Amino acid sequence: MTGKAETSGAAIEIRDLRVDYGDFVAVNDINLSVPYGEVYGLVGPNGAGKTSTFRVLATLMEPTYGEVALAGIDALEEKEEARRILGYMPDLAPVPADLKAWEFLDFYADTHALGTASERKARVDECLEIVSLSDQRNSWCKQLSRGQTQRLVLAKTLLHRPKVMILDEPASGLDPLSRRELRHSLQGIAKDGASVLVSSHILSELAEMCSSLCVMNQGKILAAGTADEVRRELGRSERKITVVVLERCDEIAAWLERQEGVLEVAEFETNDQQITLRFTGDDRQQADLLTGMIQQGVAVKAFEEESSSFEDILVKIAEDNRKPEGTTNGN
Amino acid sequence: MATEGSALNGHPPTWKIWENPIVRRYARSRLRPRSLGVALLITLMLAAFLFFTIRAMADRPGMSRSDVARVPLIALLVLQGLILFVLATGQMAAAMTAEADEGVIDYQRLAPMTPLAKVIGYLFGLPIREYVLFLATMPFTLFCLVRGQVPMEFALQLYGVFLVAAVLYHLTGLVAGTVLKNRRWAFLSSMGLVFVLYTIVPQASKMGLVYFKYVTIEPVFKECLPHLLPRAAGAGVQTLQNLVPPARFFNLDLPQAVFTLGTQFVLIGVLIVMLWRRWHRAESHLLGKFGATGLFAWVQVMLLGNALPLIERGDVFPSSAMRRYFQFREGGQEWAPEPIETVFMAGAFGLVTLLMLWLMISLMTPNRDRQIRGWRRTRKLGQRSLSIGSDPATTFPWVAIMVMMGAGGWFWFTKEVIESDWFGGTEMPIEALGAFALVLTAGSFGYHALLEGKGSRAAALCAILGAAPLLLGTVLAVTSQGLWPLAIWVMGISPLAGPLYATATVLPVADLHPDLVRGVPRAFWFWQLVACLGTVDLLARLRRSRRAIAQSSLSDGDHSPAGK
Repeated sequence: MTGKAETSGAAIEIRDLRVDYGDFVAVNDINLSVPYGEVYGLVGPNGAGKTSTFRVLATLMEPTYGEVALAGIDALEEKEEARRILGYMPDLAPVPADLKAWEFLDFYADTHALGTASERKARVDECLEIVSLSDQRNSWCKQLSRGQTQRLVLAKTLLHRPKVMILDEPASGLDPLSRRELRHSLQGIAKDGASVLVSSHILSELAEMCSSLCVMNQGKILAAGTADEVRRELGRSERKITVVVLERCDEIAAWLERQEGVLEVAEFETNDQQITLRFTGDDRQQADLLTGMIQQGVAVKAFEEESSSFEDILVKIAEDNRKPEGTTNGN
Repeated sequence: MATEGSALNGHPPTWKIWENPIVRRYARSRLRPRSLGVALLITLMLAAFLFFTIRAMADRPGMSRSDVARVPLIALLVLQGLILFVLATGQMAAAMTAEADEGVIDYQRLAPMTPLAKVIGYLFGLPIREYVLFLATMPFTLFCLVRGQVPMEFALQLYGVFLVAAVLYHLTGLVAGTVLKNRRWAFLSSMGLVFVLYTIVPQASKMGLVYFKYVTIEPVFKECLPHLLPRAAGAGVQTLQNLVPPARFFNLDLPQAVFTLGTQFVLIGVLIVMLWRRWHRAESHLLGKFGATGLFAWVQVMLLGNALPLIERGDVFPSSAMRRYFQFREGGQEWAPEPIETVFMAGAFGLVTLLMLWLMISLMTPNRDRQIRGWRRTRKLGQRSLSIGSDPATTFPWVAIMVMMGAGGWFWFTKEVIESDWFGGTEMPIEALGAFALVLTAGSFGYHALLEGKGSRAAALCAILGAAPLLLGTVLAVTSQGLWPLAIWVMGISPLAGPLYATATVLPVADLHPDLVRGVPRAFWFWQLVACLGTVDLLARLRRSRRAIAQSSLSDGDHSPAGK
């Protein structure tokens, strides 16, 4: 990794990153590359390793080993340099109780040496405007609501025009309108060439906001790519299939349960002749299942695969994590 | 939105304190008129009360105007000490802990300032209100100094050392706030430290540990005292002070102010290094292996350098302060130190050495988590072993080095005292070196093995339990003289009793009670044997544990949770 800031290549480059807490492996040898100009989402259940990864990227934590480059700067060796181009917003971002909103921002503008008092004031006002907090300029930080506090910290993160932004749950506490504004703000920042790495538990929103996603679980990256790619990759292992048959067939449920890859025939509604089943296997196995049903003499009227939503995928991952070892299936 | 780099201009140089963003941030928040006004009003009222009341009381016939003007000086100095030493130090510790507790400190970590600039920012920013309160009292002091015709050199010496000592204590508060999690504990512990410095440390300095008094303003204050008092009283004090030698360091005679400033600047440097390490890398030990061992060696040299030159004149002995009283009571007989005080003095030297060893071990010993991470990093880098000076490396060799230095220093000090003219012809037995080394070896390696192998809670618990036999033994001893033998055996369990038992056992000068003469050596050797066996067992367990960690990290690449 080079020591100078770059504008080509990846904005965030992680190689073989590992974070241990005693015997617990929080982040397990992950590799990740985030290009410039992207809003990149990091998704995963609690304990997936997202916050540890974020804290290492934000130069707040030393990993067990690994390499991290932000805009080409080695973030583990050249921390002060990396901090100049980095904007970090932690989860449940705190604010000091003894400062007013503008003083809070002015202090950080000062630490980033953003010019004279008047230049700093102009930049502070600009950032307050971006997060729609201009009318709270002279309010005490402690008097702001949760959402206003989030926006204030976001303004602090924007102050020095960072090339790399790392936002841990930035939308928590925001009302729907503020979330939409946040989404537009982040997309605007990315459009201007910066890279934004963001985590959120509001997955549908993350899918809309991010150009790419990465799903983490138990310290490992399970899948990365666009929202559709990730959904397809993680959803492939288990599908929900609905079969509508023309004529009632009592034996079909038993036959389906015997087939390879069929995990559960969850529903058998004879009234509307509809069968719902959970199936694990690839496209070929799914086609074989349909062929087999037809060969059994079942008049299949419809055979439909429901694509998994992000919520379904993460709920499934979280459920698998809770199961005792050896009982998990799927991925 | 523009995306070009961050800083439009560079940061100001670190020495421009008034341009430091952290100083400016605290100047803004801590000097708001409403909150500052109340504190300022109270301070001015107190200072004015002391100034006018004491002055009025001192204004009697026969007192010159300049003498009257000098009288409130000491009371004002005490008020200033309360503001800068106690309040500001507590504020430093509590505010740092609060920032860590609230999570705001992460923002400060992310500020692209150098670690040194951050330390300086906090050092002069956090207590800025207390500095203003201190300045508010200065007009009264200046009036006293000018009207009292106090020689400028003494006023500058006193206030120079006063301010440097304040910075030293503030840094101590900053370190306490950085290390401790609970803001109330941080506040109390840092104020407690200042209290200990001005109550217990002066007593320790009378037991031969002269060096410690130089971390206070006491030596310089005493030197300046004759010039701060009305002339008649000052002359009396001056006569007494003429008997007190200047600060001596081996063969060097140095002015008290110079030596005090030198001592305090070195400690300031050490504390800045600690904070720099923490700001640079949050997971770092406060001091590295080389730094902690070097600091231990430095303190040993200072303890010896200050104490040894005082032996010849007898100033090192606790009873020397009572010399004139003894001379008067004994009808002009020459004063001589009692043998028993030598035993206590040598024991105190050993105890302080043992406590210093524990402190250094606590500073540089890695916990299990750190060891595991260190070994995994080593494996990743393709190396076979940890670097000996790295934070995750074992403290074992460093403890061995410090034990040797400590035992050597302790033996040297005791030998110089025992073989001095005061105990004509007495020779220090060489086996004393073995006994001293044994006490420090068992105490230090035992603590090291507990800390590194079992964690800080186990070590802290043992340290607390180590004090229990002392308390129980004391209760037994004061209950009945018949219980003395039992009390001796019970107290001997405590590692804290080891140094005193060692000196009482091996020094040939002690004139002890028969129960002590019989019981102490037996208890000493028995409990040292037990301690040594326990320490060997702990070290063996530690060795196995470290090997297991090293092998699990070096043998294969599977460290996944499932692999555990």
